[in-house]
Amino acid sequence: MTRAGDGHESPYDRHRDEARPSAGASDAAASDAGPPRAQPAETGPAETEPDPRFTMANERTFLAWSRTALALVAAGLAIVQLLPPFPGVPVGRHLVGIPLIILGAVVAVAAYVDMMRNQRALRRQKPLPRSVLPRLLAATIGGVATVAAIVALISATR
Amino acid sequence: MPPRSQEPPVLDPVNRTKLAWSRTALGFAAIGGAMLKLSFVAGLVVLVLSLPIWAVSHRQRGRDAISQSPGYLRLVTATVVVVAVAALAVAIFGHSPDSLGQLLRG
Repeated sequence: MTRAGDGHESPYDRHRDEARPSAGASDAAASDAGPPRAQPAETGPAETEPDPRFTMANERTFLAWSRTALALVAAGLAIVQLLPPFPGVPVGRHLVGIPLIILGAVVAVAAYVDMMRNQRALRRQKPLPRSVLPRLLAATIGGVATVAAIVALISATR
Repeated sequence: MPPRSQEPPVLDPVNRTKLAWSRTALGFAAIGGAMLKLSFVAGLVVLVLSLPIWAVSHRQRGRDAISQSPGYLRLVTATVVVVAVAALAVAIFGHSPDSLGQLLRG
């Protein structure tokens, strides 16, 4: 949307203008507009560029997952390097921290795969695929919390 | 087609996306700064990689930029994976006397 008088054109404006049917344009003007756009393959589903707002929302979701992944890596590293050792459980910090670091890497890659799948679904105007990330995150954090509780209990009894 | 004035604003999504990129870049820079104390090279790499991510937040967005964004997104993913691998290396083979490597060696 262009705000009155600000002179800026948003991606949404461009998208809308390009998506607008060329009913008002003559054939000659259409032929002057440059080479025709590549048509989707006849065998596959038709793909159209989605509304930029959806693309940006998809991008923001990806970035939010990436920040979550980065926080997991930082938390894992902090647990391993900064936490004092658990008495009686010498590998306790590593049991808690290393899975978080690995989860961070997995979440980063899965977020990218999810984003691409969502973008493809948007282009094909299909329902968005269900993401495995929330379940993966919940299950792993639950597991790590359980391990942390066990390690803390063991070290407390020694 | 509805009149132009009734269409939903899109500048807010653009700004929100810019801010999301800025937050991500700041997060990378913070992690890189923290990693400098643990591993100078790894921290420096993360700090340097946060610069192009910061630049993405200030790029001119347009239709072409949107269709090219997977390149930037791949950079973010690759950076997180690099950070995770570096963190894993520090956690396992770090210099602290009670690192996992030292503990496993007995």
